Amino acid sequence: MPYSEVEILFAEDSPEDAMLTIRALKKSGFANKLHHVKDGAEALDFLYCRGIYTSRNIKENPKLILLDLKMPKVSGMEVLEKLKSDPIFRSIPIVILTSSKEDPDIQKCYNLGANTYITKPVDSDNFFIVIKEIGLYWMILSQLPA
Amino acid sequence: MAKKNSSDDLIIANRELAFQKDEKGKRADELIIANEELAFQTKEKGKRADELIIANKELAFQTKEKGKRAEELIIANKELAFQNKEKGKRAEELIIANIELAFQNEEKEKRADELIIADKELAFQNKEKGKRADELIIADKELAFQTKEKGKRADELIIANKELAFQNKEKGKRADELIIADKELAFQNKEKEKRADELIIANKELAFQNKEKEKRAKALIIANKELAFQNKEKGKRADELIIANKELAFQNKEKEKRANELIIANKELAFQNREKGKRADELIVANKELAFQNKEKEKRADELAIANQELAFQNHEKEKRADELAIANQELAFQNHEKEKRADELIIANKELAFQNHEKEKRADELAIANQELAFQNHEKEKRADELHVANKELAFQNEEKGKRAEELSIANNELAFQNEEKGKRAEELIIANKELAFQNEEKGKRADELIIANKELAFQNDEKGKRAEELVIANLELKKAEAEIRKFNEELEQKVIERTVQLESANKELGSFSYSVSHDLRAPIRAINGYSKILEEDYAEKLDLDGKQALSSIIRNSKKMGQLIDDLLSFSKLGRKEVTVTDINMNALVKSVIEDLLFDSSENKVEFNIKTLLPAKGDQSLIKQVWINLVSNAIKYSRHKPKTNVEIACYSKDNQVVYYVKDNGAGFDMQYYDKLFGVFQRLHSQEEFEGTGIGLAIVQRIVNRHKGTVWAESTLNEGASFFFSLPDINS
Repeated sequence: MPYSEVEILFAEDSPEDAMLTIRALKKSGFANKLHHVKDGAEALDFLYCRGIYTSRNIKENPKLILLDLKMPKVSGMEVLEKLKSDPIFRSIPIVILTSSKEDPDIQKCYNLGANTYITKPVDSDNFFIVIKEIGLYWMILSQLPA
Repeated sequence: MAKKNSSDDLIIANRELAFQKDEKGKRADELIIANEELAFQTKEKGKRADELIIANKELAFQTKEKGKRAEELIIANKELAFQNKEKGKRAEELIIANIELAFQNEEKEKRADELIIADKELAFQNKEKGKRADELIIADKELAFQTKEKGKRADELIIANKELAFQNKEKGKRADELIIADKELAFQNKEKEKRADELIIANKELAFQNKEKEKRAKALIIANKELAFQNKEKGKRADELIIANKELAFQNKEKEKRANELIIANKELAFQNREKGKRADELIVANKELAFQNKEKEKRADELAIANQELAFQNHEKEKRADELAIANQELAFQNHEKEKRADELIIANKELAFQNHEKEKRADELAIANQELAFQNHEKEKRADELHVANKELAFQNEEKGKRAEELSIANNELAFQNEEKGKRAEELIIANKELAFQNEEKGKRADELIIANKELAFQNDEKGKRAEELVIANLELKKAEAEIRKFNEELEQKVIERTVQLESANKELGSFSYSVSHDLRAPIRAINGYSKILEEDYAEKLDLDGKQALSSIIRNSKKMGQLIDDLLSFSKLGRKEVTVTDINMNALVKSVIEDLLFDSSENKVEFNIKTLLPAKGDQSLIKQVWINLVSNAIKYSRHKPKTNVEIACYSKDNQVVYYVKDNGAGFDMQYYDKLFGVFQRLHSQEEFEGTGIGLAIVQRIVNRHKGTVWAESTLNEGASFFFSLPDINS
């Protein structure tokens, strides 16, 4: 899939969580234009067209970013802060998907400009439902900036 | 007559002449001799007359000198008399002044000074008088010179007297001023009067001395008058003597002429007698002429006899005069002698005066010292007067204050009088009361005796207490030591608390960190297990047999439960750290919303709620909501196997707290395990019978405890259970 077609950028270091999330999105029909990156550093490389993503056109950005918080190298919080402080990426909705139920993280993410904060349920049934709902809401219901 | 007689006589004489022709010769010779003797005598008389003339000249000169001296003495005496009069006046003025002084003795301060000056002047004058007296001694010899000095002195004395008079006037003025001052100093006058008496005595002495001087002066005046009279008499005598001497001189001249004429006459007579002798015959005619001549001669003889008689008389007179002059000279000598005596007396008098002056000087010095003392005393009195003046002002002020105070006191006295009346009444009442008191005192006396005994006992007890106190002091010291140790121990404890708190805070942080780890790190693998199991179940179920399908189902169920356990554990641990925000809770509304939110399992009965009106309480609404959720859901869950589910929710008030309870008719529990009921993950039923993690009641207890309430339960197994929790009411 060429990077220009990527509609959802998904940053998740856990392969299991990534697989389950992508599976849930696939079942909802939103996974075909998703690009998965393994950590925050790669996410920023993708967006700023650096490293292996230098070929990507910076003007063709994803419509939605799904961001895990706890990641190696650059954390999801740092990626969030960077993107929301950059006029180029500020308007892209960012959904925080995390295992943490800690209040400080939730408050901090919304302060930095996160659009949604979702705690990933342990129960797989609930997990699939939540992911499906996210895809439905952001990709279908919401009118995103061009 | 004499000529008639002589003519008669001449007749006789002529008859006798004839008889006496010889006798005449003899007589002529005798006459010659007598003339010679007369001539000799006249010569002697001439000499004598010359001597007398010289003596008279000397006498005249002396009398003149004496006259001058007498005049000078008269003038001097007059001046002296004038001075003495002035002195007398002055003495009288001094007496008056002294009397005035005596009268004015209160103000002696300045006047005393002036008196000192006056006394000094007097002393000085007295000294001058002393000198003058000495000079008078000399002046007795050189009075003329001294009269001038006396004149000068008199002028000086006049000036001095004028000054004295002026001073006396000034003293008079001063005296008036001092009289006014004396009134002010009236207090001091008594002391001064004593002093004045002394001064009066001194003045009397002075007056006495002045009187003595006056007497002396008068005596001197009389003496001078006598002297003047004597001098006058001497002057008259001298004048008479001068006249007498002049007459004598004239008579002597005349006698000399007569004597010469007589000599010539005698020579002619002698020549005629010789011629007569020759001309005896011729004498008839000549006798006629001779008779005539005799007549003439007789006349002449008579005249000569008369002249001689007159001369004799004159000589006699001269002798008398000489005697008188001798007597006068003797008197003069005597007078001079008297004057010398007088001079000596004057010397003595002057010495006495000098001595008196010396005494007066001493007296004046004493007076000066006395006056200085008086001046000092007056100065002190003035200071005292000033102080008294100030003191008087203060006194006046104090008197005013006292006047005010007196008025106040008068009012106060009136009040006091009234009070005294009241007190009188009160006193009567008090007398009665005193009688009662006397009775009571007797009783008290008895009581006092008892108390004395009691006091002795107390004293003994006090001794014991003293000993005890000492023991207590020791005990206190030990206590203080103990306190110090306790304080030290407390401080150590405090330190330990602080350390522990730090440790606890650290532990809490670690717990927070642990919660996060559990939340994040444990949930991910469980989710993976659960998720992948679900994938197997969904995508590969046909490839598994029944046992495989059951195993997969078991993995899914347990992983799901583990996720639930982890979530419950996390929420429970979060509860301990969560802040409690207390508000008034409308419990009716809260319970209603909880019931509406509850989802019911299909396996469960329809619930019949019996909800009473609930009192409001204070608490954290979200946490209390969790309590209701847990309790109500438990009630429904554990009633599941009963035919009907009845849940009663009610409350009651007790000790500022509201007790809420949820009562069901469910499975209940065995009270034997009540102590495990609120334990974390403790369960009294099997998972098959009633699912659950066993965290619900633990959460309920923790929330209620954090609201300072309590939670408890009552149950009979299989008959139902009641769960109670208390919260502070809204008035607490």
